[in-house]
Amino acid sequence: MRDTSDRRSVDDEKLDAIWAGLDATDDGIFVWSAERALVFINEGFRRNWDLPVRIGMDYEEYASLIAHSQEWMIPGEPDERFQNTLNDFGVATDADYECASGHIVHVRQRPSAPGGMVVTFTDVTAIKRNERELREAKEAAEAMDEAKSRFLRAANHDLRQPLASLKILIYSCVREQDDEKRAEMLHAMGVATSIMEDLLGALLQIGQLDAGRVQPRITSFQLSELFERLHIQFNHQASEKGLRLRFVAPSKTVATDRALLERILSNFVGNAIRFTELGGVLVGCRKEGHGLRIDVLDTGRGIRQEDFGRIFEEFYRVTDNNQIQKKGLGLGLNIAKRLADLLELPIGLRSEVGRGSTFSVWVPLGNIWHSDISAEVDISETVAGEFAGIPMLLIEDDDFLRESMTQLLRRWGIDVHAAANEDEALELVEDGAVAPRMIIADYNLEVRTGPDVIAAIRARTGEDTPAIIVTADAEPRVIAGIRDAGIPVLIKPVSPPRLRVMMHNLLFEPDLLKSADI
Amino acid sequence: MDDRSKPVPIGSMVPLTGPSAADGAEFRNGMILACEELNARGGLFGRPFQPIFADTCRQTAKEVVTAARWLIEKHQVHAIINGYNIGAQNSEYEPIADAGIIYVHANTLLQHHDTVMSDPQRYFGCFMADPAEYWYGPGFIKFLSWLRDTGQWIPKSDRIAIISGSTPYSIVIANAMANSATSFGWKVCFGPKIVQTPTSQWRDVIEEVRATDPAVLANTHFYAGDLAYFQRQFVENPIDCLVYLQYGAVHRTFTDIAQEASVGVIVSSIVGLLRDEMGKRFEERYTARFGSGSTASIGCQSYSNMHHYAVAAAMAGGSGAPGNFEQNRKVAFALRGMIYRTVHGTIRYHPDWQAVVPYPVVTRDPSLGMPHIFYQIQDLKERLSMIAPEPYNTERFVYPPWMSKGAPRRL
Repeated sequence: MRDTSDRRSVDDEKLDAIWAGLDATDDGIFVWSAERALVFINEGFRRNWDLPVRIGMDYEEYASLIAHSQEWMIPGEPDERFQNTLNDFGVATDADYECASGHIVHVRQRPSAPGGMVVTFTDVTAIKRNERELREAKEAAEAMDEAKSRFLRAANHDLRQPLASLKILIYSCVREQDDEKRAEMLHAMGVATSIMEDLLGALLQIGQLDAGRVQPRITSFQLSELFERLHIQFNHQASEKGLRLRFVAPSKTVATDRALLERILSNFVGNAIRFTELGGVLVGCRKEGHGLRIDVLDTGRGIRQEDFGRIFEEFYRVTDNNQIQKKGLGLGLNIAKRLADLLELPIGLRSEVGRGSTFSVWVPLGNIWHSDISAEVDISETVAGEFAGIPMLLIEDDDFLRESMTQLLRRWGIDVHAAANEDEALELVEDGAVAPRMIIADYNLEVRTGPDVIAAIRARTGEDTPAIIVTADAEPRVIAGIRDAGIPVLIKPVSPPRLRVMMHNLLFEPDLLKSADI
Repeated sequence: MDDRSKPVPIGSMVPLTGPSAADGAEFRNGMILACEELNARGGLFGRPFQPIFADTCRQTAKEVVTAARWLIEKHQVHAIINGYNIGAQNSEYEPIADAGIIYVHANTLLQHHDTVMSDPQRYFGCFMADPAEYWYGPGFIKFLSWLRDTGQWIPKSDRIAIISGSTPYSIVIANAMANSATSFGWKVCFGPKIVQTPTSQWRDVIEEVRATDPAVLANTHFYAGDLAYFQRQFVENPIDCLVYLQYGAVHRTFTDIAQEASVGVIVSSIVGLLRDEMGKRFEERYTARFGSGSTASIGCQSYSNMHHYAVAAAMAGGSGAPGNFEQNRKVAFALRGMIYRTVHGTIRYHPDWQAVVPYPVVTRDPSLGMPHIFYQIQDLKERLSMIAPEPYNTERFVYPPWMSKGAPRRL
């Protein structure tokens, strides 16, 4: 409702239009006279703001109303608010207030020429909400960016370990002449690669740690395998620095997340090697309560007492380190701590400057019956059959038969070396490259017979290797001839069970061959 | 005879003569008891089960294949259900797969997995109702580690000596033991050494083992008589170590020959009658039917396999004669899908292997696997003491008389 008493003297239509326009706006407008009386309240204020004001109201009364309002949340005590409001008359101010309804009002106060002032009330709820959402989105983006950066730093840090091992191994392998040592190195390279693969997986999890999305998978397992993996991962680095690295494998089952525990220990061991120049690193266990305390002891420089608390902080590095660039980014221990917290495994640190440090993690004992067996997932004759890993020479000139026989024998776990003729077979056994424990040969081999080829191989290797002839020629005279040569024979198509029994007897129970009834 | 009351012929290939005749007789008993119980309850939709036995003698491939053919061709059996036949090397699968009937056995062979997985469509009906022999290896290593970790036994070292017989069964178990040992903190200090079996002469190999001073000596040969001689020769001048002998030492024959020397020996079986109420009631029925000289713990194998098959055939709406692939596929589907708790644990077929899953070495849930049971001979006059695994064990491990109790080792 508009009080028009002050405007009765103004009958100009233009002026009426101005008043109507001021009423139409959604902003609230007050006009105070130099005598501190409220002389104008527009309709916009009455529509939008629930404050009992009236024309002619004294400013002191208004200040009191504002100071004690339950609708407008103005900072400070009521008396202080009252005094501040009184003091602010005629002063240019801008302030945002939150209303009990949840709206936000922007109050703008400006002095007017005769010594009074005008105050506007603008609803800025939507603007403020948008601003807040934008700010939150920005903060989330920045956090994600930081997480990504941290992930990349962690990836760089953790992948360096196996990568360094790989580089050393490749370098050594290229020069290594000894086949056995080469094979060992290749095996270690394979392990290092798998560790890198695992690491990437683990690092992805670390990235997810920030988002709280890592779900530990608790299983029971033997620590010895985990120790072996760590040994392979770090042994070459320790050797390079002339350090002794020793793992005392425990014979206990523990129950925790295997991959995450490996990450914790890997960071401990990596750190120990990095900060130790003389002596060595020892990883061992001690029974403590219903669990095992895994200790990683080093003979490094040690850590000052005052650094104990901060050593697990992200990017923290001991300050007296004069070779920072070679010592990592200070992420390893933070990762270890965060993982240990996630798994609820207490970690500990004992150290003395100049004498070395011991980082430890406590893990609960598990149930041995529940412990994983690594081979169980893909158990087959290939890995566990009676013929698994036995080297065998197969001589067959028919490509299709050679391939199908090779597949069958490989399914039984046999290490098959296939040749199409005598020359290829002799080449395979040349210089002991293949030391077959058995020979299977076709009877009709282009220019030679199977027994001739077997004789040639035996002569070349100097071994009386057990052999079987397979033939499609069922001519009794031929069969008798082969048997006379002391070689058992199977007629094509070869029955796999018969072949299996004959191979078994030749390899393990030769006496049974004479009475074999297959 | 009305088709609806015509007997359902069920074949059973059992070694009624030859070296495994004692087991064969029990497998036969188990089939007879199962069929009698099933028939007393109405058989298969009113049709009685009729067991037909074929002697597999020395269990060679030829003998077992001949038995399978005879049962299929002459008797038109709907299924062949038995205990084990060693030596056939899966060759009997071929006539059975050709006929499309169901075959349930306890051959304890890893190669069953490979054969079935090589062509699941062809071998749809072939089921191995006990775990593969391979599992004896890791199962034994876990058992040893459990004894050690629970403080029941304090090993003097981490050294294991392994002697194997020359059969595929023994070799696979010995290799599996050796493969699993390291993971559990053991070192193989001897073997696996393959000894030509059968044999009763073990002194030479025992002397070779002595030189390696092991904490454990395992012999994976399994003929009860041979093992009894092994044990007698071992105690003549014992090594201070645990002795584990493969399955055959559960037989009475073993203790009959080894006598006092057998006390302290550890032996295991991946199919063993449990000593709970269910197992005890079965044992009473079995002994009442076949006399006190019978061995329910062996007869339970074919007994359970027959009962399981009957339930599956009922679920499938009936059995199928040779050539009725469609009906037998339904029976096979029911066998694969059904978790069946019987007197020696749970028969649950692995969906790919079509072989039973062992507990606790593969599954950690006793309701989903057949227990690998460890016994110790503690008193010649009493039955074997069942010392593992939980929750089935009824006794505790005791130190064998030839062993000293060492000082506790620090971790």
